[in-house]
Amino acid sequence: MGMISKIIGLIITGAGAVLLFWGMNSDPTYSFIWFLIGMIVMSIGFGLISGGKQPETPEPPPPTVTEIICDNLDCDFKELRDFEKGDYILKPIDATCPKCDGSMTIHGIYIIREKEEEIQI
Amino acid sequence: MQFGGESSEFSWIINLAFFAFIMLFSLYGQKIQMWQWLKQIESGLLELKRMFLESRQTAIDAFKNFGRPEDEVAGDLDRWLDYFTIMPVDLDPAGVIQRLDHLLDERRDRFEEFVGDLAPEADGKMRQNLENTLEVTQVMNLIFRVVRHYYILGKKYGSQIMIMQIQMQLPELLRIAKAYFQAMGAFSVGKPIGDGIGPLIVSKFARQYGATKEDYIDDLAREVGYYRVEVEGRTLFAVRATGPGGTVGKPGLAIENLVKQNSGDISRIITIDAALKLEGEELGRVSEGTGAAIGDPGPEKYAIEEVARKNGIPLEAIVVKEDEEAAVGIMQKELLNAIPEAIERIKASIVKRTETGNRVILAGIGNTIGIGL
Repeated sequence: MGMISKIIGLIITGAGAVLLFWGMNSDPTYSFIWFLIGMIVMSIGFGLISGGKQPETPEPPPPTVTEIICDNLDCDFKELRDFEKGDYILKPIDATCPKCDGSMTIHGIYIIREKEEEIQI
Repeated sequence: MQFGGESSEFSWIINLAFFAFIMLFSLYGQKIQMWQWLKQIESGLLELKRMFLESRQTAIDAFKNFGRPEDEVAGDLDRWLDYFTIMPVDLDPAGVIQRLDHLLDERRDRFEEFVGDLAPEADGKMRQNLENTLEVTQVMNLIFRVVRHYYILGKKYGSQIMIMQIQMQLPELLRIAKAYFQAMGAFSVGKPIGDGIGPLIVSKFARQYGATKEDYIDDLAREVGYYRVEVEGRTLFAVRATGPGGTVGKPGLAIENLVKQNSGDISRIITIDAALKLEGEELGRVSEGTGAAIGDPGPEKYAIEEVARKNGIPLEAIVVKEDEEAAVGIMQKELLNAIPEAIERIKASIVKRTETGNRVILAGIGNTIGIGL
């Protein structure tokens, strides 16, 4: 169900709308019948337009990052990298601080996700 | 359109269609609505089933790395998924907490035994994480089976009230199931979760006063220990469960033991935990109050309250607000941002409400997965 079916659906919907409005103004004897036919044709058209939606693909999980901070209080070095298996908060890191050569510790592991819109009252 | 115009040879068709419409919806309206509800439940059930099967597979993938082949792991896991605990009789409520405590201990032992059998090569920390993975899979399985039960029962007996109830509760059930489902990844690789904010605050607080991993004394109660630090002339026992494996431990019993070890000479017990926020409240908001901040089935909270009452120790609670999704999901930045404020409130409480030379217990309650000492 691609673009072609949506175009066909649009044409059928248009045709249905014409029938419906024509039915409203035609001979009173047949107006109800034309009106019904118009409605049915339009609903088939709408069905074609809205049908065949692609199945929702599950979104990939948001990334988790590890925040590493230098233990030296006078040094402001901070590094963010992707979470690696074996990381945990307050884990001392083997590498030394590239700024002051001091030891470093994981101070945070957290998920990065887009903020959902909240209802503000 | 000219419905109301002069009668014609076709007007009887219009009248017939009109009455047919009225009859159809007055006699079968409820049936049509039931059909709609059943379709909605069915689609929710399929979603629950998918989440359960994927969780089960994640659990199998996690367990199979520790010494047992996949087919054996799958077979044993399926046998374990409907493991149950029968709650103690409460017709005679005397002693119900002790009996519940006993049953929960036994349940925990069985879980540990099962994880040990299924992952013989896993170390202690990994076993705790696998235990958490198993529990989440069990929750997913339980939600799916309960919804399926009411769906089939409602359909079988055409019970409108049963179908209506499950249809109305379905969005909430799906929300809870999704929260646990998303947490599966966190548990299987040992990422910290929002519920662990209490132990994390305690460790960061103790570290500010010079405590290190080596200072942690792990002999208070099952999987719970403490750091002993000096804070503004007071002796502080900073209690938390061991980590970074996923465990909550028995903090109630730990506090009880600590009070006994100090012959009741404790001036204040401060508990810190994650608490459910109301919709509209800010994630990571810090609040304080009176009582024991702990969300266990009963025995741990009871132990804290009882030991505090017996020894006349004031009980203070500090909580970090989060929703259920944040509590069981991977730690969020907003929660980490709440740590400095929580630490300031603890300091303020100690300085303002205790005196120099006093002994204070600070207990961080929560799951320590991914949170080191």
